Amino acid sequence: MSRTVVSAENVEKVVQTTAGPLVILDGIDLEINQGETVAIIGASGSGKTTLLGILAGLDTASAGAVRLLDANLSDLDEEARALVRGQHVGFVFQSFQLLASLTALENVMLPVELRGDTLAQSQAQELLEKVGLADRLDHYPRQLSGGEQQRVAIARAFASKPTVLFADEPTGNLDTQTGDRICQLLFDLNQEFGTTLVMVTHDQGLAARCGRTIAIAGGRIQAPVYQPQQASAL
Amino acid sequence: MNAKLVARMAWRDIRSGEMGLLLVALLVAVGTVTSISLFVDRLQSALLQESSNFLAADRQISSSRAIPEEFSDQARQRGLDTARTLVFPSMVFAGDLNQLVSVKAVDAQYPLRGKLVTGEEPFQPGAPTQDVPEPGTVWLDSRLFPAMGLSLGDTVEVGLAELRVTRVLLAEPDRGGSFFDLGPRLLMNLEDVPQTEVVQPGSRLSYRLLLGGDEQALEALRESLPLEPGYRWVSVRESSPRIGRALDRAESFLLLGGLLGVLLAGIAVALSAHRYAQRHFDHVGVLKTLGATPTQILRGFMSLLLLVGIAAIVVGLLLGSALHVIIVQLLATLIAVELPNPSIRPFLLGAATGLICAMAFAMPAFLHLKNVEPVRVIRRDLGVAPLSRWLSYGAAAAGSLLLLAWYTKDLLLTVWTLMSIVGICLVFGSLAWVLLKGGRLVGMQAKSGWRLALAGLQRRRTESTAQILIFGVAIMLLLVLVLLRTALIDEWRNQVPEGAANHFVMNIAEDEVEGVRSLVRNQATEGEFLFPMIRGRVSQVNDLTAKAWQETHRPNDGGSQLTSERALTWAVRPPENNDIVAGQWWSPDSQEAEASLELDYAQDFGLELGDRMEFDVGGQRIWATVTSIRTLEWESMTPNFFIILSPGALRDFPATYMTSFYLEPGEKAFLNTLLSAYPTITVIEIDALIAQVQKIVGQVSQAVELVLVLVLFSGALVLIASIQASRDTRMAEHGLIRALGGTRALIGGSLTAEFLVLGSFAGIVAVFGAELVVAMLQTQVFELQLELHPWIWLLGPVAGALIITVVGLTGSRSLIDSPPMSVLRGLY
Repeated sequence: MSRTVVSAENVEKVVQTTAGPLVILDGIDLEINQGETVAIIGASGSGKTTLLGILAGLDTASAGAVRLLDANLSDLDEEARALVRGQHVGFVFQSFQLLASLTALENVMLPVELRGDTLAQSQAQELLEKVGLADRLDHYPRQLSGGEQQRVAIARAFASKPTVLFADEPTGNLDTQTGDRICQLLFDLNQEFGTTLVMVTHDQGLAARCGRTIAIAGGRIQAPVYQPQQASAL
Repeated sequence: MNAKLVARMAWRDIRSGEMGLLLVALLVAVGTVTSISLFVDRLQSALLQESSNFLAADRQISSSRAIPEEFSDQARQRGLDTARTLVFPSMVFAGDLNQLVSVKAVDAQYPLRGKLVTGEEPFQPGAPTQDVPEPGTVWLDSRLFPAMGLSLGDTVEVGLAELRVTRVLLAEPDRGGSFFDLGPRLLMNLEDVPQTEVVQPGSRLSYRLLLGGDEQALEALRESLPLEPGYRWVSVRESSPRIGRALDRAESFLLLGGLLGVLLAGIAVALSAHRYAQRHFDHVGVLKTLGATPTQILRGFMSLLLLVGIAAIVVGLLLGSALHVIIVQLLATLIAVELPNPSIRPFLLGAATGLICAMAFAMPAFLHLKNVEPVRVIRRDLGVAPLSRWLSYGAAAAGSLLLLAWYTKDLLLTVWTLMSIVGICLVFGSLAWVLLKGGRLVGMQAKSGWRLALAGLQRRRTESTAQILIFGVAIMLLLVLVLLRTALIDEWRNQVPEGAANHFVMNIAEDEVEGVRSLVRNQATEGEFLFPMIRGRVSQVNDLTAKAWQETHRPNDGGSQLTSERALTWAVRPPENNDIVAGQWWSPDSQEAEASLELDYAQDFGLELGDRMEFDVGGQRIWATVTSIRTLEWESMTPNFFIILSPGALRDFPATYMTSFYLEPGEKAFLNTLLSAYPTITVIEIDALIAQVQKIVGQVSQAVELVLVLVLFSGALVLIASIQASRDTRMAEHGLIRALGGTRALIGGSLTAEFLVLGSFAGIVAVFGAELVVAMLQTQVFELQLELHPWIWLLGPVAGALIITVVGLTGSRSLIDSPPMSVLRGLY
């Protein structure tokens, strides 16, 4: 039995608006084990991105408990959550989120440097070669196409050898063909590094490639679908 | 974040231009302060040195009694230079001719500051000399040569001593002083004084101990000497109020200019730091998702700020020094004074300015970065909680206070300036807010540039208000400086107008008046007045003798005596520059004997309206009643009288007359002609004094103009920073409008309209603010006449609109030119 990497227990998220409190997440319970690939799907406004943010420790829940590996995120302040993220979590975003002032290589080196590790450059170079950008090391994000930028982002996500990789609509800003290639790259690297993958998407095809799909509507989990054969195949 | 990463980020940000404006703003702050204070520092010492020439020393101790040896011993112990002089009136004889002269006896050390100028020919240019007359010799004023028929090598008698005339005395540094002391000078050696035997008890003697050297030693000496009563401590400011006041005002102005420069640069720093922070919200969000802790973010960005701050300080100091060297070079032909070496203070001030600007104006925005929520990376709609106003305004206010207080060393001026700026911001902020809100502004209907602009202004009302205020304050500060500069320089120039009389003629006998006038009229520009002068002394006041009166009303006073002989005059109307402050001037046809006294004179001797005074005029006694008290414009280069009597009192006494004229510098030989024709008249040359005053005024004006240029630069920087600050918002909006079909002309028109509105509103704010501040400064700090400046009321808004529009459009060119796609993709 692999260990639980991410868990949520009765998680709620309520925000105050001028029209009164708005419930975004309402009693979310889930567990994600090491090595799993999980897709969180749902319509726009269903709360799936909010859930991803809370599970990854980017945001805090209004109520309930969230655990990421050994850390109870609900009990930690931003300082400690940042350390957990830096240690265990990688991200891939829909809008790539590369730092415009850094080159591709420097963007990939960044998470390792933040951790204070050395030897960042050779690792980063290796990763960029893996994603097929060996000849673009010194290019700035604005000099790269969308697909290339996302490949840099994926290389960056794996640079810190994360336990869990959170992806928010990773192909949302790309055409189908490029999206497929990025997707393939993501799953390949995921397999190679043995990372747990939690992905928010509304792309059914992409969701189908994951071991498990969690559907969200109106802030609640609809019908948990468990596909153990795919999970164990990893 | 580790140091290498910080350094790399800083370099990236600087290279990519993200940090550019912040760096330039800090640079300008440091550079402006360094160059202004370097220049002011050196100019101040130079001006002080120059004006010390008026005393021939840095300080003097003067008395009618001999100055104790102990005083000079103490001064020498403190490392000060000393020299002694003794001035007294005496008759000097040459054959049958005699003349009343003002004798000055000096020791070999005289003068400590400035130089004597001597020559071989009367009224011809001479050369500076280090010497003083050898024992047994004298140097004489030019005018004594024709008056007494003397030439070099002749002998004159001063008291019992026979002394040989060896040189013509053309100028002496401490020639200034009161108008009637300017008798023709005879300069002799102090060693010869005993054998003249003219120094007797009761003689009118003026002893001076000249002191030169370190400021601190001078002040310490002043503290330690038992000066009161009887010994007067004299510094430039006291001895030459005209120069003193010009210096004080110039200093205040230069400091104020520097102060405004710093404030403007501070605003620019705050604005660019704010923009930098805003553009880095996403950046920080990403860093945080990647595991950067708030502490790391804080430390990283603080180090970055520090790094940029240090870079700005180093480069700024170099730039400031270079700028100041260029200025000194440029002004070298105008400023003949050799500038002393600068002190360390300007550099410290520059460095501290950079540091404080970075900390107080930029740090709040940087601090705020640590509060960016990492979730912003996936939820762009989540804004960043606004920066605490208390923190940002509080820090800026504290920083300004600290800087300004240190810079001006004048807490009152500092607090006052800050308070008025805060007050103006509050009042005009509300006004701008109401103007923006109350205007009938339409919604987002992109039909014409105007409507688009107005809608935008209204939608971003808070930002627009802030922008109007920032533009307004910047323009206001510049206006304040321009107005004050004009007022100051005008006032200085007015004191010594071009072509003002530079020679006075006294002792013109009644039958010589016409002859002298026609001679003067042919050769020079005649002055306007012709005063009768009658020598006389006060002999009695009410029931007391003058001596007894003074003992009752002014005992123990080592100063002037009520019984001294003075120049009296009579006049039908009060002379120009005289204001009656008590009582009434006599009517033109009054036959009564009335007296009008100068205010200080009246106060010094306890004389009041209604007192009866008896005057002894050549043995004849006249009584007059005090019916008015006057104040005088001591700074005007016209003769001033302590006592003026009504025509009824003095008209029948024989008088001599005085007049004045303006002589071109090249025509001094005319004095020879005049004095040969009328040997008994006395000519007083004040052209050298006027030239000296004009030179100082000129130098100070130069410095003032220079400071203005530097501050203008800071002002321009604020405008650019402020326009840059709102550039991103405008960019996004206009990109969208263009994508939706808005033409470039529409965007251009909208931007123009927006800047025109912002600029004219800012101009209105600036004009009101400037009038207010200038009014206060003129009356409170500079002691000038209050005046309004109607010409800026229209100029302010129009210039504001034009400047903001030009700078704004220039800064937003890329906004109009870049393709909408790149704007929407954020690639700008």
